[in-house]
Amino acid sequence: PCRAQPKKKKKVDVRKEQAQKERMKKKLKKLEKAAPELIPIEDFITPLKYSESNRVRSLPPLAPEEAERRVLLLKKWCLFKQKQDEAEKKAIKALVESQQEALKELRLESEELFQAAIRRDEGLFPFEREGPSYTPPLPGYDPPEGKCTDITKVYTQ
Amino acid sequence: SAAARRPWRLFGAMCLLRLPRITQPLEKEEEEVAALMEQIELEKSHYSDHEMRRLEEEEQLKRKMESSYDEDEARGKTVIMARDLEEKWEQKFLQFKAAPRITDADKSNDRTSLNRKLDSNLMLLVKQKIGNQELWLLPQVEWQPGETLRSTAERAMATFLGDHIQAKVLGNAPYGIYKYKFPRAIRTENNMGAKVFFFKAFLQSSDLSQAELKADYLWVTKKELGDYLKSEYLKKVNRFLLD
Repeated sequence: PCRAQPKKKKKVDVRKEQAQKERMKKKLKKLEKAAPELIPIEDFITPLKYSESNRVRSLPPLAPEEAERRVLLLKKWCLFKQKQDEAEKKAIKALVESQQEALKELRLESEELFQAAIRRDEGLFPFEREGPSYTPPLPGYDPPEGKCTDITKVYTQ
Repeated sequence: SAAARRPWRLFGAMCLLRLPRITQPLEKEEEEVAALMEQIELEKSHYSDHEMRRLEEEEQLKRKMESSYDEDEARGKTVIMARDLEEKWEQKFLQFKAAPRITDADKSNDRTSLNRKLDSNLMLLVKQKIGNQELWLLPQVEWQPGETLRSTAERAMATFLGDHIQAKVLGNAPYGIYKYKFPRAIRTENNMGAKVFFFKAFLQSSDLSQAELKADYLWVTKKELGDYLKSEYLKKVNRFLLD
């Protein structure tokens, strides 16, 4: 009599455990199928404290002469930018033409030099250069010391 | 495979550019529009934390002047006001002296110095003897069989500036060409004239104290090229120079 009962318990237990495991697996699969949560872009969410009404700037309304001046200035700017763009395009076109002419003359001279010239220059890219600043670097300048602590939040999907 | 000798001699020349170190001054329209944009941004903005603090403190001061203030209110406040902070920052800014945009070399118009005209491109010109004339040219040497034109141009650069120059050559292809015929006296069937191929490079190292300069040299901007180069040569060179 003692022997039969433990055996039954084991079978039932094993079956119960297997059923539990399957249920857990099904739940995991359902969770994985759901789309991953989007990482919020912190720049696009304005914190609520900045939309309070006492924060609104109080300035005198815009005079009509001022509005007129602004519109005319923007029109002048439009024209200025158009001229600048045209000049740039013209300069680039002249550059390309000059290069094409040089390559044509080179081809007339010697085919092998021409082939060497139109080969791709592997060492050219990636090309890095520091842009110009407003004032030249001050020789012997000792910048003040400071510590930078990074507090960006890292999200994991 | 040069079976028949071509009548043109080949030269490789290098246009070495020192790129600008400071920004160019803004045009009048650019300044006006920049001011307008700042004004519009100010009008559309809300008060920042610092400005709120400043406004509150101004109100407190006003209340102090007008009526007798509570001792309790004043006890818990900080000693430093926003206005004092702003003054402190202003003082610190005034103490800093930046390097001048117009250098000594600009004032003395020393055209051999690299510190001149920091807001524009500077090109290297050297004095070379062509035929029996001493001319100001972009550094050039004659092509030798067995090398590409780019290596000729690099050799030209090394001849005049020494081996320790760090320059980034912009590609294998020439940027421009100047073709000229020799004067009749020395022109022959096999030696009609010369073709000078120009290559462009950016100067990477900023100090050339190590360079052994072998001839008279100048660093000039695009506008000043006209003072030194001949008109035909100048026309061809100007085509591939962006200002």
